[in-house]
Amino acid sequence: MSDPVRPIAEEELHAYVDGQLDADRRSAVQRYLQDHPEVARQVAAWGTQREALRAAFAPFAVEPIPPRLGLERLVQQRLGRQGLAWRAAAAVVLAFGLGGAGGWFLRGDMQSSDDAFTLLAQQAVANHVVYTADLRRPTELGAQQRDDLARWVSNRLNHVVAPPDLSAEGFSYMGGRLAATPDGPAGLFMYDGPQGVRLTVFVLPLHTSPSQPIQHIDYDHVDGCAWIEKGVGYTVVGKLPPAELRRLAEVVQRQYGGAT
Amino acid sequence: MQSQSCWVTAVSGTLTRVEACIPALRRYAAALLRSRDDADDLVHDCLVRALAKLHTRRDDADVRAWLFAIMHNLFISQLRRAKARPAGEPLDETHEAAMSLRPDQENSLQWRDLIRALNALPVEQRSVVLLVSVEDLSYAEAASVLGIPIGTVMSRLARGRERLRQMTEGGEEVRPALRRVK
Repeated sequence: MSDPVRPIAEEELHAYVDGQLDADRRSAVQRYLQDHPEVARQVAAWGTQREALRAAFAPFAVEPIPPRLGLERLVQQRLGRQGLAWRAAAAVVLAFGLGGAGGWFLRGDMQSSDDAFTLLAQQAVANHVVYTADLRRPTELGAQQRDDLARWVSNRLNHVVAPPDLSAEGFSYMGGRLAATPDGPAGLFMYDGPQGVRLTVFVLPLHTSPSQPIQHIDYDHVDGCAWIEKGVGYTVVGKLPPAELRRLAEVVQRQYGGAT
Repeated sequence: MQSQSCWVTAVSGTLTRVEACIPALRRYAAALLRSRDDADDLVHDCLVRALAKLHTRRDDADVRAWLFAIMHNLFISQLRRAKARPAGEPLDETHEAAMSLRPDQENSLQWRDLIRALNALPVEQRSVVLLVSVEDLSYAEAASVLGIPIGTVMSRLARGRERLRQMTEGGEEVRPALRRVK
């Protein structure tokens, strides 16, 4: 709906600053600003102000979360003094949690490497399924906040990790988030590939687990590749042919400085 | 069994998302309140309230907007209580938390002015400016978080941004040459 003569509303100047305009209106605003330098200066100042506010408050979102705000602890406190409904609900989560997506409450002792590998596959697939299906907010921090995310995830994982660059493979980085697993926090990075296929790269520290080479995983009919290297588990998950998954896994492994 | 495990997936999915929102909640609380402890108290109360309401959430509504709404309501009732208290202790004029940030950065002086200006805004404008600019909420999400119409979000945003600009640039008021759609 291109309507070059529709006048620009003041609201749209703000929506322009906030990146909330569609392409047509964005170019209409851009044309308008070219002809009105005084308004353009004002709009630029709002943009600078927006960036300055983001920069000024950004450190609060990347610093470690104090223990009293840890969600797991709050859930456990709540379990201790809750009414029947919540307890029943929580009991179901406790019973099914580990196998279900998120698997949040049980903190199993992952001793054998098989267990660790299974956990890695389950958690990677569960998080893949939950978040790729989320149309509104598949990622917590988008592609522009790549560095913020890398800092946040590295901080929480106690392990320096950044989203791998798969653009040469035709997968553009969409963003990522911190994911929760029974073995602690994990990083989830999401990519948009050919024909809209969603690919996720999942990174989970598994401190005591021995290294394992890249292997095909199939959990709940979702395919991927997983490997463990220097106490960190990695997966690549997406609806792709096994050979392609393996190739991508090798690319990711190389970028993380791994073997092969 | 199937529906039970769907439900479990939904709850643990929600919890995972709640956890992922904690950094943003802390950032917003720190921007609203001047002391770091007060900010984390607010986040704490918000999480406790959210867990209490968790079982009533069955839809796939946006977890982030839901949490921000809970926190906003707690913040507003806190303000009301503070106002009701006679001759309460005056709020600290400095933003202790933000001020102490990144002293190494050249920008920190500029930020100090900006944060001071932000704190001088009426709280209605401050929340809108923060939710939209820093927390990246859409105007519709900000409206639902604050429980106000989108038009009100827009006018508070416009007034807030313009006042901030004047305070930090020391410039005169410039109204855009254009107004509403005719």
